[in-house]
Amino acid sequence: MYAQVLEERKDSIRVAADAAPIRCGADSVSGAVSQRACVYSGARVVLNPITDAFHIVHGPIGCAAYTWDIRGSLSSGSELYRNSFSTDLQEKDVVFGGAEKLAAAVDEVMRVYAPALIFIYCTCIVGVIGDDVEAVCRNAERRYGNRVVAVKAPGFSGNKAAGYRLAGDALMRILMPHRHQPKSEGVNILGDYNLAGEMWIIKQYMREIGVPVVSTFTGDASYASLVRAPSARLNIVQCAGSMVHLAQRMEQELGTPWIKASFFGVEDTGTAIRRAADLAGSAETRRRAAEFTRRESERTVRLLAPYKARLAGRKAAVFVGGGFKAVSLVRQFRELGMETVMVGTQNGRPEEYEVLGCLVAPDTVILDDANPAELERFLREKGADILVGGVKERPLAYKLGIAFCDHNHERKHALAGYEGAKNFAAEVNLSVNSPVWRHVRARPAPGEKTSSFPSTSSKFSARPALGEKSGEAHARQAGAAECGVFREAGRNRAPASTAAAKTLERGVAALAYFRDEQ
Amino acid sequence: MSSRIVNLNTNPCKMCMPLGAVNAFYGIARCMSLLHGSQGCSTYIRRHMATHYHEPVDIASSSLTEEGTVFGGERNLIRGLDNLIALYRPEVVAVATTCLAETIGEDVQAAVRARRESRPDCRTTVITVSTAGYSGTRYEGWFRALHALVSQTAMDPAPHAGVNVVTGPVSPADTRALKRLLREAGLTFTLLPDISDNLDGGCGGTYSRLPEGGTPLAAIARTAGARATLELATFVPEDASPGRLLEQQYGVPLFRLNLPVGLRDTDAFLTALEELGGTIPAGEYEERARYLDAMVDAHKHNALGRAAVFGEPDLVYGLTRLCCENGLLPAVAAGGADCPALKTALEEEIRPLAENTPSARFSVLNFADFDDIEAAVAENDVNLLIGSSDGRRAAHKHNIPLVRCAFPVHDHLGGQRIRVLGYAGAMRLLDAFANALIGSREASFRTEIYNRHCGGKPFGLFPERLDTGCAEPGSPDARAGALRAVPEKKDGKPGPSVVPAAARAVAGKHREAAVNNADKSATHPCFSASAARTCARIHLPVAPDCNIVCNYCVRGFSCPNENRPGVTAEVLTPPEALERFLRVRERMPALTVAGIAGPGDALANFAATTETLRLIRREDPDITFCLSTNGLLLPLYAAQLADLGVSHVTVTVNAADPAVGARIYRRATYMGMSFQGEAAAAMLISNQLAGLRLLTDAGIVCKANIVLIKGINEDHVEDVVRAVKSAGASVANIMQMIPVRGSAFEHLPLISNREHAALRRRCEKLLPQMHHCRQCRADAAGLLDEDQSYMLRGPVPASGAAPAAEAGCAAEAERAPAQVAVAPRNEVTEHAPVKVAVASRSGIVVDQHFGAAGQFHIYESDGLSTRLLETRRVGGNNLGCGMCGRGPLPEGPEDAEQGGGKIARALEAVADCRIVVVMRIGDSPSRRLAERGIAVFSTYDGIDKAVMDAVLARRDNIVAERARDAETV
Repeated sequence: MYAQVLEERKDSIRVAADAAPIRCGADSVSGAVSQRACVYSGARVVLNPITDAFHIVHGPIGCAAYTWDIRGSLSSGSELYRNSFSTDLQEKDVVFGGAEKLAAAVDEVMRVYAPALIFIYCTCIVGVIGDDVEAVCRNAERRYGNRVVAVKAPGFSGNKAAGYRLAGDALMRILMPHRHQPKSEGVNILGDYNLAGEMWIIKQYMREIGVPVVSTFTGDASYASLVRAPSARLNIVQCAGSMVHLAQRMEQELGTPWIKASFFGVEDTGTAIRRAADLAGSAETRRRAAEFTRRESERTVRLLAPYKARLAGRKAAVFVGGGFKAVSLVRQFRELGMETVMVGTQNGRPEEYEVLGCLVAPDTVILDDANPAELERFLREKGADILVGGVKERPLAYKLGIAFCDHNHERKHALAGYEGAKNFAAEVNLSVNSPVWRHVRARPAPGEKTSSFPSTSSKFSARPALGEKSGEAHARQAGAAECGVFREAGRNRAPASTAAAKTLERGVAALAYFRDEQ
Repeated sequence: MSSRIVNLNTNPCKMCMPLGAVNAFYGIARCMSLLHGSQGCSTYIRRHMATHYHEPVDIASSSLTEEGTVFGGERNLIRGLDNLIALYRPEVVAVATTCLAETIGEDVQAAVRARRESRPDCRTTVITVSTAGYSGTRYEGWFRALHALVSQTAMDPAPHAGVNVVTGPVSPADTRALKRLLREAGLTFTLLPDISDNLDGGCGGTYSRLPEGGTPLAAIARTAGARATLELATFVPEDASPGRLLEQQYGVPLFRLNLPVGLRDTDAFLTALEELGGTIPAGEYEERARYLDAMVDAHKHNALGRAAVFGEPDLVYGLTRLCCENGLLPAVAAGGADCPALKTALEEEIRPLAENTPSARFSVLNFADFDDIEAAVAENDVNLLIGSSDGRRAAHKHNIPLVRCAFPVHDHLGGQRIRVLGYAGAMRLLDAFANALIGSREASFRTEIYNRHCGGKPFGLFPERLDTGCAEPGSPDARAGALRAVPEKKDGKPGPSVVPAAARAVAGKHREAAVNNADKSATHPCFSASAARTCARIHLPVAPDCNIVCNYCVRGFSCPNENRPGVTAEVLTPPEALERFLRVRERMPALTVAGIAGPGDALANFAATTETLRLIRREDPDITFCLSTNGLLLPLYAAQLADLGVSHVTVTVNAADPAVGARIYRRATYMGMSFQGEAAAAMLISNQLAGLRLLTDAGIVCKANIVLIKGINEDHVEDVVRAVKSAGASVANIMQMIPVRGSAFEHLPLISNREHAALRRRCEKLLPQMHHCRQCRADAAGLLDEDQSYMLRGPVPASGAAPAAEAGCAAEAERAPAQVAVAPRNEVTEHAPVKVAVASRSGIVVDQHFGAAGQFHIYESDGLSTRLLETRRVGGNNLGCGMCGRGPLPEGPEDAEQGGGKIARALEAVADCRIVVVMRIGDSPSRRLAERGIAVFSTYDGIDKAVMDAVLARRDNIVAERARDAETV
């Protein structure tokens, strides 16, 4: 039984061929079980990778507990950012105010660590109880001469995208005193958080083509590296959702032009590298970029071929945070010969949905701010073979017997760049073509009418009967299970190879055998 | 992290109340939870639970917005309930409040009442519980949820023979084991809660969004008539205890027992079951015997353990008791919540064992974070961590194994299958503890014993503590562990005269180098006056940044005619520097020295400096390497400079007294911290002197440059010379300050040559002086008196055919579309590169309609490669130049105007292009483009591919057309 779709949600669900634009950017519907996070989350995601900053969460413990070292941003320097610091407000603090405790904490931090930069994240109740956090910051800056920046991010003040803006504003406050720097030849990279070393990969590419990188926002950034940013001649913006605001402000106030770039997938990576060379390099740089991207993309395409052979024709579903990433993923699936049958985002923008609509098949379902009930419904309805998403979506896919690709901030392998394109194909393949699905998707096990618990047919496991070796019995079992897959309603896909056809034959034979036994 | 901050919780050992509440509600059948607050709480909690239980976790939120926060969230709450009920059709909805809802004073009960009255047909029961995140932890949230359930369910007090069993947060697998035991004991029972199925479900069947397992509300209604309540929790706050409530309101007798972890508490639990009329299953006796056997088997291993147990009250207490009965000393027992009763109980439990063990220490912590726990771990030589995966960082840092047996387990699988209860659970724990201890001993004992007895130490040094098997503190294994652990870097610590151990270690290794380096001085124009006439040097300007601000300095990057330090025509990258070096070497056979002298500070650009030197060394093994620096970073890099083969270093030391220095230096930035005034000067001076010492120890020849500033340091110069001499400098160079326009000292008077010479003579008595300094540029090349750098400036021919500025001008000339005549058809041959206009907002894929495009990216392509030239805004204003990056590349709001004007402007913007690539285009503009000889290509591909495809397609068309023309002719 498919879940009904809430009336208020209907305008946020479209098929690609629909003429009416999708409703997006609205507040989440109460009680709809949105997959979205909050303003604080958005701000924290962007600022946390600044490795030597002291990140203090001003509020009760929850927000700090749930964001402690949960992301895979790597550091080449300080490890300070991997700690969780919270004022851990208690009931009495809520009654009498928490500003004093915060100020005392800042004094202590300066005494013990003396960091060049402190962020103070104000969570939901701080605004409500009226702590003057700005005053705490001002006093501390005056007293210690370092930077103490408040990020006022109460969860109720918008969605994650609002948090991105706040983070961008906080970064501008750090940059402004350093705005009078001569422009250099270098570029800044924005919107990469060095998950699994992705910023390092991008920097390697830039080094390869001879474009110096000045600052990185904010993967593997330090205070000292950030304040050099105004000297860059160009900003390259990777994850556009989180950094467009900062890029726009840097353009307006620091005169740094910017371009968007995507380092996901072979094609986009090549384009991004050449674009950087076009705008920030000499003729020699452009030549090197052309040469490098040609070589690397040929090599990667060669490496992808065996995966493509195993994946072509399978159906993908995408549910990720931003529209930019969704577009990249749909295109990457196309590189692997896979069609995307459902695509949704938590915080996509109208123009991104328009692009998505053009990229996918006319009957592909497009969702904004979907909830688990909708995801479940469309994953089943569209017969997706794999879902790409974050941590919360994974158990749902698994429960539905669908493969999963982790495109979240906890992963430990790069998905960006040429290396990432290969990793992506490998990950999709290892999940889609895992043997487990043959077994879990099978309908009632041989000899069973209702239960899906095969070991009750003790004759099956206890007796490799009729002079067969147990290995053969196992093969039969697998064949039978696979048969279940092929017979499943709505899954009338032809067997992919003759080997599979043989397995199918064997499976049918095995089924007959077990029926006789009964 | 040894230094502790009392006003902050550093790495929490607890979670918040709402998590506890929704976690417990997952043990109620057909129940959904809704958190009244902002969206993030539910998302974070879902994520936290999903990575532990590996199950879909659906928790709704009332998604309070700013408006709801100001004017009350009742409307959000009611709509949220309606939606949740419509989506999941639950039997129960549990509303738990968050920090926000509690702080703004939401009356949840009133809202629920109002909703019930307006929707009389709604069958769903709504339970509310107040769980402000700041009023307690997950533990209290869990019990408050159960308390709310019992107090708000309509009770049926008819007496029956069943027993209520209340548990704190235990795993689904443990809950299952508990259920089986109760069933086998022949008892009828109601579990509060029962998360066994909902948070550890199967796969392969039909998936149900709504948690179908768990204790039904009907069963909870009957708890009022039960024979007794067993509460398997010792530290429940009385006002949150469901057992106490049932006792007080319905007279159900309450028995409170410890969580049955380990022998004693499982015994007590089984005894209680027996007393309630149950029969202990025979299997339990067998399990008990096996557990006893396991205890004996493991006892000698356990005796060497010193565990740290951390987490929530009942579990910490149970695990501590299990450790104690096995002789495994809980050297640290820590509760994350504020629970003084737990502290007392733990101390009473551990003390007897500790007293029985010579030299045993232990600490019990209340309200602890991981900062506290880690400090206690270090202090008490802990060799085993027991708790949740939140201990993984401590485990990694201190190289101690961690046994994960509590919520949350984020980094391993099997959180839902943790077993700690009963004899079977105890047995699993025991094996895990003992095996962890065996594992670390196995990994270390060979090295440890070898080092102690065979590693060259005198006989007789055995570790003093006999009662533990852990590596002796300070033993090689322990040290290795400490090294492996990632050291916590204390950034931003001002460190005047910090001398890293590595730097110290190098000193003394380079005695030989000292001799060679001194020889090289003979051919160094700055270190030998005679060499100055015959030997040439090149300064490679690869170091643009500086970490101090001097009042006399202005760094410049484009002043070809100025001749002073800090000036260069351009900054080079290391490969460019190599190229220049090679060119100059070819031209100047007398070249003996390659140096880096700014224009900033060589060490502040250490990566570039290092790479440059490495590149050059590969080409030239003999060239003398020389650096000049302000010395701030010398303590950090001295050793590496020696390794790079730098033989000469000049340190500019203008003061030896911070008071004088404060008048010269405005700011110093060290380790990410900015210092000013005397603090900056003091740090700089001490680092300069420490650095000189390190350099000379490493055999590097050092010169001190002293900028003589009239009225500031003229009387102080002799002191400076003395200081640098004692730090090891072998020559001093006193230079007149050059007043630079724009610098703070711009208006200071110049010191006269006579004064200057007299000062040099005075100082000569202290230290040899350099008299032939020419105060060169950062990109100087040649003999000191014949700077030829002007000949080298400008682009390096091999690589820079189109310097940015020129191309910028060219692009500028092309900017005004009106000036570009529309080219006639077929004017160009098909292989020439053509200009292509692309309608794209993202700049990555073609994603815009022609008419809607606010901007066009102008590419040039020959079908083989593409190149972005510029981005043009439709309407012609403010065109960013792609080549030089000058001017903005706008992504502004779209032109509001519709219709013909817009199309006309779009046509104008692409007038000089041969092809337009768009996502879609209308008939009329398409025709108008064709009239102008511009081909249209529709696609939604990536730009590069689209542009090349379009160029090739156009080419094919042209060829085909020509063929047709030829035919018709």
